[in-house]
Amino acid sequence: MSAREFETFLTRIYVDAGARARFRENPRAEAQRAGLSDEECAALENADFVGLEMAARSFARKRQLKRKNGFIFSIRRFLRRFFADR
Amino acid sequence: MEADAAEGVVVAEADSMTAFHDEVGLGWRSDLAAGIFTHLDRIDLLEVIADDFFGAPRREVHALKTLSSEVSVVLHGVGMGLASSAPVETKHLENMARLIDQVRPQFWSEHLAFVRGGGIEIGHLAAPPRTAATVEAAAENLSRASALVGSKPIVENIATLIDPPGSTLSEPAWISGILASADCDLLLDLHNVYANGLNHGYDPKEFLRQVPSARLGVIHIAGGEFIPAPDGHQRLLDDHLHDVPDPVFELLEEAAAISPNPLKVILERDGAYPSMDCLLAQIEQAGQALARGRARHNALQEVLK
Repeated sequence: MSAREFETFLTRIYVDAGARARFRENPRAEAQRAGLSDEECAALENADFVGLEMAARSFARKRQLKRKNGFIFSIRRFLRRFFADR
Repeated sequence: MEADAAEGVVVAEADSMTAFHDEVGLGWRSDLAAGIFTHLDRIDLLEVIADDFFGAPRREVHALKTLSSEVSVVLHGVGMGLASSAPVETKHLENMARLIDQVRPQFWSEHLAFVRGGGIEIGHLAAPPRTAATVEAAAENLSRASALVGSKPIVENIATLIDPPGSTLSEPAWISGILASADCDLLLDLHNVYANGLNHGYDPKEFLRQVPSARLGVIHIAGGEFIPAPDGHQRLLDDHLHDVPDPVFELLEEAAAISPNPLKVILERDGAYPSMDCLLAQIEQAGQALARGRARHNALQEVLK
């Protein structure tokens, strides 16, 4: 098991509410299902579950904000180009 | 008598600050543009988010070049994922290299974070497990970034609401390991240190003493908000939407007291913008904290002579 796969596992529980709920329910089983080592499973069993929930919510808000700002940014850029061509 | 003493301190502070050539600036945000241009005489440097200009029309990059001819500009990256076990995307590094070539900033900086895993974007900066493996991976990414961009970034510590699972190293040990392995300098975000200290139970001042002060060149200051935690307690969210709290100015004084290098301090504000006077007052407070720290630094040097 590599550090990269551990990061992939963390990413999944940060962004996927279902994976996070399964992880909270049974951390070792969810980590084992992802193929993580015994040592990594043990580390995840002692995870900061309060922080996990808060971080996941914070990341979700950031993604939402990025989507919103990205849309506004694209519209602004389009309007600038549109009027600059006239 | 008291007034004289106070005046004396101010003179000493001014002398020590001049000696170190410390600078205090502001994060560039288009919403603040009018206020920034009106008060360029009170802002030593501007930090621009590099990612906002990747793929931007030529006109916008030209505006940034014009800005950099008026005031010192530094570029700050937010999406590279330098501390990821996966290699940084080549396209991202090429974008940074192109922008640096066009803008010629004083330096560029990036975060010690991972931002995606298995092709999934997290949407923000996440703290990787603090291990020997991620120290090595970050050093490899920094070496690659340095080769492709043509210069090394100054690397920044991040705030994290979760104590990163799987960590075997303390945060200062992990950061120090990366700085040594990659031979990089440190951008120390003092609100991140303050927030992590409160959220994960360590003393921020002790943290400052555990990172190599000789590598410290740039500092971020910002504010945040206490938010309720599911366990009924609170944690401090580093949202950059609030004024810089007093403990962060105290940490800035500590940093100035221990750093042997000239410091560049950037005030970060990402929204809920107050008046320009309020931001300028925080810039001034930062200058005063630096001066107090430098006076202590100089006094200690005198004793050690």
